[in-house]
Amino acid sequence: MVDVVIVPATRGQLGVLPGHVATIAELKPGIMSVHDGNGVTKYFVSSGFAFVHANSFADIIAVEAVPLDRIDASLVQKGLAEFTQKVNSASTDLEKAEAQIGVDVQSALNSP
Amino acid sequence: MAMAALRREGRRFAPLLSPRPIAAAAPRSSPSFLSPEEDVPFGARSISTQVVRNRMKSVKNIQKITKAMKMVAASKLRAIQIRAENSRGLWQPFIALLGDTPSIDVKKNVIVTVSSDKGLCGGINSTSVRLSKGLLKLNSGPDKEPKYVVVGEKAKVQLIRDSRKHIHLTISELTKIPLNYTQVSVLADDIIKNVEFDALKIVFNKFHSVVSFIPTVSTVLSPEVVEREVESGSGKLGELDSYEIEGGSTRGETLQNLAEFQFSCVMFNAVLENACSEMGARMSAMDSSSRNAGEVLDRLTLTYNRTRQAAITTELTEIISGASALEG
Repeated sequence: MVDVVIVPATRGQLGVLPGHVATIAELKPGIMSVHDGNGVTKYFVSSGFAFVHANSFADIIAVEAVPLDRIDASLVQKGLAEFTQKVNSASTDLEKAEAQIGVDVQSALNSP
Repeated sequence: MAMAALRREGRRFAPLLSPRPIAAAAPRSSPSFLSPEEDVPFGARSISTQVVRNRMKSVKNIQKITKAMKMVAASKLRAIQIRAENSRGLWQPFIALLGDTPSIDVKKNVIVTVSSDKGLCGGINSTSVRLSKGLLKLNSGPDKEPKYVVVGEKAKVQLIRDSRKHIHLTISELTKIPLNYTQVSVLADDIIKNVEFDALKIVFNKFHSVVSFIPTVSTVLSPEVVEREVESGSGKLGELDSYEIEGGSTRGETLQNLAEFQFSCVMFNAVLENACSEMGARMSAMDSSSRNAGEVLDRLTLTYNRTRQAAITTELTEIISGASALEG
């Protein structure tokens, strides 16, 4: 039982409270926060789907989910710089798209 | 290599598996001047136990191999069982959302048979092949085109015999490196891109316990079929209409993404469950063959000792009777 879950949907953060309207949402790389009586737990999710059911149940399927405190902030900074540089130096569209995904992931990790 | 050795040895002790192995083995060890394999010097009276000794040695070796294979399977099983059980969380939400529709009636059925690459693991591959064949029969008709996609070497060998024309794609050597999601999603992507489908039916052995596994079918529908079922409003899928869909530019696109993601998740679980069942089945198969080798060894030891003792007794009798003849 939790109070609120905030998931990173493709069109922005989606807050889910009990009694939320039934929804299927695609997820993008980002921070998922779970609020319960004692505080907030934050996870990084790579991608996936969230199903909110009408009976106040929600399923979140993610390919990877990592508690945020297990992520090394300095490595994230380093990765961000690396991918930003790759975006600028990319020659083909594919390379550029790949680097852009890298930037998105790393900046999502960097945001909290 | 170990398997080849095992097969060779298996052929050699085949005569021993006849109903009366001792009787069958005994005449071979009796002296015979005609048989070239026993180089008993002319006139020698001892009974050669060479053949039985050799066979005992080979049975002992077989037992060592099967015991080692059992140990290997047991240790692999422990590692993979945890992952298989954890991966069940991946498909459960999909069942909650879309329901399970194994009996849905569509035109293009694709049966994905998951099997192992290696043998010596009991009947897991033949059960999944049998189930796939049944599914194909159920789903074939005048205007239907059922197809197989075969994962793993063993099901391929069994299916290619009589349903070669239905096989669309085969994939093997999946388990060479430890299974991971990335690898399976690439595989799922391959299948989706190369095969047209209305419904994917994935056949695998669900791990239940070390000695039991359940042949299972999970169904993944194509986005068009999902849309059609939602409109007809039947069963669990009819409820999908009440869900708001977020993300993607259109509803169809999101449903497409959802179906592809569902397939990769279900596939991931299926290969893990199957690998886990394979290890369990191999463990019990190797356990029973080690036990069997032990029994064969016991019977051979008995034959060997009896023959040896008979030879000693004969010699003793000869010596004593010779001595008593001299005295008298």
